[in-house]
Amino acid sequence: MKISWERQIERTDKLAERSDGAKELLIFYGQLLRLQKEIYDFLRRRKDWRPSGRLEPDLHVIRRMMPKLLALVEARGPDVLASEAHSLRQAGESAIDALLLTYWQSPSDVQFFAKAFLQPYARWLAETDTKPADRNIGSGENRCPFCGGKPQLTFLQTSEPSSDSGGRNLICATCLTAWPFRRVVCAQCGEERPPKLGYFHSPQYDHVRVEACETCKHYIKGIDLTRLGLAVPLVDEVAAAPLDLWASEHGYTKIELNLVGL
Amino acid sequence: MNRRTFIKTSLAGGAAVSAFGFDVAPVYAQTQALKISHTSETRSTCPYCSVSCGVIIHTLGDKAKNAIPQVVHVEGDPDHPINRGTLCPKGASLEQDIYNERRLTKPQVRRPGSDHWEDIDWDKAIDEIAHKVKKTRDETFVENDDRGRTVNRCEGIAWSGGCTDTNEFNYLVVKTMRSLGVCYLENQARV
Repeated sequence: MKISWERQIERTDKLAERSDGAKELLIFYGQLLRLQKEIYDFLRRRKDWRPSGRLEPDLHVIRRMMPKLLALVEARGPDVLASEAHSLRQAGESAIDALLLTYWQSPSDVQFFAKAFLQPYARWLAETDTKPADRNIGSGENRCPFCGGKPQLTFLQTSEPSSDSGGRNLICATCLTAWPFRRVVCAQCGEERPPKLGYFHSPQYDHVRVEACETCKHYIKGIDLTRLGLAVPLVDEVAAAPLDLWASEHGYTKIELNLVGL
Repeated sequence: MNRRTFIKTSLAGGAAVSAFGFDVAPVYAQTQALKISHTSETRSTCPYCSVSCGVIIHTLGDKAKNAIPQVVHVEGDPDHPINRGTLCPKGASLEQDIYNERRLTKPQVRRPGSDHWEDIDWDKAIDEIAHKVKKTRDETFVENDDRGRTVNRCEGIAWSGGCTDTNEFNYLVVKTMRSLGVCYLENQARV
């Protein structure tokens, strides 16, 4: 399941209009999505270039878009990120390359710039079926089968036309690829015992739930597309920010922070 | 302190910012108004027919000692190889089966010639079944057939198993029935 950048942007704008608490987060996320789309289009439209599957040789092309991201964050981002963007701009090309390569080899969800910047590149790799050859970051049922990235969120979607139940899928935090994953299993540690797995739900966010594990104390948010087919998982996950704070207050750690740091 | 722990510390201190420094005070205010319900999901098997569809049972309850867990939804298990999330109308109404006021929750017996069922306690039921099995087996046991060949079979008892009987349970049933010499043995050992 790959949702177009346009649809994500549209959904972000719509949710930002009617959201109270998460309005600022969604406005920023919408601007970020627009830039990510620009990066993606920049890569996709290059006729004389195809990604190699290795980040280092591809850097000379993709790094051209980095100044735009830094400028956006410096102008519209929170102080912490803005000053980091400023420092990166001062540090120059080699520092940015090092940042991107480090993230590519050992991803970290607190590394905003690398994650936000490389998502469109990794998505383009996935769409051209150019498997990353320089990214050995582990494998497993709970890791992206394409790039090995951690899951950002889960979503439920019916796969059988005659079924009312949603099959569970994970979305990769790096390349945004979706892959099927079993229900009633922790996406972090693989716990399968029902008493150890809790699903927290609020009527205010009817199609979103917190899927928490008592064994590893991690959680991931799940978007139920069988309840709201119009939802866009990555966007609705950001919009349901209050559930992240609730989970954090109750001692759960998110498997992978999203691009607003929740 | 890293960014991951920063948000937690900030919340405790009243200054709410995300790991990337976003002001989440308005989000935090919304969090206080959330009404959160806690459910668990348990895999099980539909009890109705031998197809043995997989189901997921959603149970509401925060596991507090004074709270009674309540089944709020039953759906087909999308990961189950047999039904892949689908259920027939009967299976789809399983939640009602759980809450049906006429659901049997204790053993009952209908005596020969009687027109109604009566309650019986577990110990008495087990004793009666044991006595009847012994009596019937003794009365109907066949050691040799018409041509004098040893067969050692019990023709007066039959066993019919249900769909929710597990493989382990069916294994024990077969061992027990074979040891009694029962030939008319059927189960739905597909689960």
